[in-house]
Amino acid sequence: MQARLEALLETVQKPSRYTGGEVNEIKKDWAGKTTCCFAFPDTYEVAMSHLGMKVLYESINAQEDLLCERVMMPWTDMIEGLKEQGIPLYSLESRRALSAFDMVGFTLQYEMSYTDILKMLELGGIALHNKDRDENAPFVIAGGPCAFNPEPLAPFIDAFLLGDGEHATNEMLRAIGAGRKAGKNRAAILRDLAQIEGVYVPDLYEATYHEDGRLAAFTPLDKSAPLPVKKRIELDLNEAPFPTSIPVPYTQAVHDRIVLEIMRGCTRGCRFCQAGMLYRPVRERSPEQLFALAEQLVAATGYEEMSLSSLSTGDYSQLLELIKGLNERFCDQRVSLSLPSLRIDNQLQEALVDTAQVKKSGLTLAPEAGTQRLRDVINKGVTEGDLLRTVSEAFASGWNNVKLYFMIGLPYETDEDLLGIADLARKVVNCYYAIPKGQRARGLKVVVSASTFVPKPMTPFQWAAQDTLEEIRRKQALLRSALNIKGVTFNWHDPETSFLEACFARGDRRLAKVLYRAYELGCLLDGWNEHFKYDAWMQAFTDTGLDPAFYANRERDKDELMPWDLADIGVTKKYLWRENERARNAEVTPDCRLGCEGCGLTRFEGVCRG
Amino acid sequence: MKMLVVFEKMGAHRFLGHLDLQRAMQRALRRSGLPVTYSQGFNPHLQLSFAAPLSVGIQGEREIMEVPLSETISEADFLAKLNDTLPQNMKAKAAVLQEDKVAPAMARMAAATYVLRPDEHFEQLMAAVPGFLSQERIPFMKRGKAGIREEDLRPLIYNLMAKGDTLVTVLATSSKGTARADLLFTSLCEFAGIAPPRCLITRTALLDERFVPLEGA
Repeated sequence: MQARLEALLETVQKPSRYTGGEVNEIKKDWAGKTTCCFAFPDTYEVAMSHLGMKVLYESINAQEDLLCERVMMPWTDMIEGLKEQGIPLYSLESRRALSAFDMVGFTLQYEMSYTDILKMLELGGIALHNKDRDENAPFVIAGGPCAFNPEPLAPFIDAFLLGDGEHATNEMLRAIGAGRKAGKNRAAILRDLAQIEGVYVPDLYEATYHEDGRLAAFTPLDKSAPLPVKKRIELDLNEAPFPTSIPVPYTQAVHDRIVLEIMRGCTRGCRFCQAGMLYRPVRERSPEQLFALAEQLVAATGYEEMSLSSLSTGDYSQLLELIKGLNERFCDQRVSLSLPSLRIDNQLQEALVDTAQVKKSGLTLAPEAGTQRLRDVINKGVTEGDLLRTVSEAFASGWNNVKLYFMIGLPYETDEDLLGIADLARKVVNCYYAIPKGQRARGLKVVVSASTFVPKPMTPFQWAAQDTLEEIRRKQALLRSALNIKGVTFNWHDPETSFLEACFARGDRRLAKVLYRAYELGCLLDGWNEHFKYDAWMQAFTDTGLDPAFYANRERDKDELMPWDLADIGVTKKYLWRENERARNAEVTPDCRLGCEGCGLTRFEGVCRG
Repeated sequence: MKMLVVFEKMGAHRFLGHLDLQRAMQRALRRSGLPVTYSQGFNPHLQLSFAAPLSVGIQGEREIMEVPLSETISEADFLAKLNDTLPQNMKAKAAVLQEDKVAPAMARMAAATYVLRPDEHFEQLMAAVPGFLSQERIPFMKRGKAGIREEDLRPLIYNLMAKGDTLVTVLATSSKGTARADLLFTSLCEFAGIAPPRCLITRTALLDERFVPLEGA
């Protein structure tokens, strides 16, 4: 098989996606270990940009009794080659088939990767439906943000992990390893997994539906199955494992740099933001720990760039100290620091001055909505004054490249709000020309990106209808003509992908049939425009008798039982509804660090002081 | 001073494109802590130049790069520190300290030696060599800036002979003209009247105009 694989690799694009062998790859002896393959349902370049994989890869491999390897979604040429040559999808490290592992763990980063999961199972020699897996088959696990509404994947996945995985993944692996050693059968091991905090085993529950399609009841079938399933939380990030040495890809990853997770969680309470609700409470890593991690990572990888990751970097309590400290330590080694998704309302100017010492990358700001009223609706506590002050400062200190991110199709949005986007873009352009010619960098570039809003579960907008495709197209056209401004580029996307995302984000168990049918019809790599087959997806809905509009475009009643109500993320439905009501009245909710807003997290002992 | 480094690009590394190799080497040099130099400007990058990019799919046994130094270091120290951090199959084999005034390897380069190991039809290919070389012209199509045009491969082939179960060839590799080893192989197959079998190609040396390896004899 090795010889056939070598020959195959000579014929595919970017073979280094499939060879492994990167600097810092971890290869362990298999004898006596419980084995896990971390599976990323997108290409190597996307996977190698993902921090979570690197965290678990190192932390699992640090355990003597456990082992973790990696696999990603192959590109179409490799898929065909593997099939022709009869080679199963294999792990990069030991080149073993996926079916040889005790556990295969998928990360669910976005809904449009779901067909890739089915394809990878097929190629890896694992039965697609969990009911068809025999005693020797791996346990197929899934985690990550989309695992908080696991239902559309329920028939394919043995167990989901809801929440932080640093310790829970090891516990799951050990439960599987110990169970297999003790000769337990699959069903018994699954019941053991359900005892681990944060784990949801879908086969231990049953969903029933009203005639109109709404969920009627959701019931545990076994006394070992908790309801609701409480999310897993790593309370102290300084105690949680973080990688000190990560594999360095040969082919360029999408985000090819060191990523330092400085903070988890966010208390701003933006109403569209799922991560902000899912990952409470706010937890910070100390600057001292981050300095030590950064030094080890720079020494181990040779990376020339580093970025800070969190939901709201501007809220990190010691941000200036951190940025200054990193710059001091790495300036001589020419490691540049980039700061993504900075909120624009605090301390930014000083931070900007500091990063400019090393590298001038673009400035990215996310006002999200075009008018103050709509920003109040979504509780994005940023004012036009903040934004214009920030860009003026940036232009004055030599920036000429600004990206502005907006969403269209937000609840309670009017055409006036859309025109507000153009208005704001024009004001940004004016800020640039207000700086005298000799003092500003030449060649202004303002990029306005408008994505289509997808209502997400576990947010105050979980009840909302998504705009229809026709309405989104009308709004895009309106913006296109309004944004015909010199120096401004407008980016938008076809809304079909967002429509399907909306279906699966708030989907129930029955949607698994649509997913399976789409897979049968050849849907894969749906996140890639050139492979996205909208017509095939619509065919899959028709063939299975389900209506996508029921999932995407329907406004829910306050008391409707949601498929994701099975999970307790800390934040209560009652709180989310209250926020939804406030949104309707364009009423803002302050950051809860200024006073508890009663989101429900204090119910979890020792997690939030309220 | 600068360091001329001889390194290998073997095994799976034959799949790396030139930019991938460049990044891998830059990162290895950064990890090594060796006294390298950086360009000026907002996006400083580590200075490094290669004698000749290698086509994807072809292995290299003795590839050459030059690293400008910010301070002098012994060849042995350089080699040891770099090899500490280079991955398997990309190891440095020799380091030669040079004055900055020595012409860059890229400019001194005139030819390269390749070993071709076809999976099958070796006998036929070996038998075809004398006839192949006795041709006055070996036309091939080259894609250049001005579009596709016909060129002659024959004057770019300095030597081609069978050795064991391989073919060994010396091909022109300079700004005046470059013959690709994979192209030579398909031309030879065409001449022999066979469909090109799979063939592992290894570049074994980079030579100056006297046919002496760039790193010295």
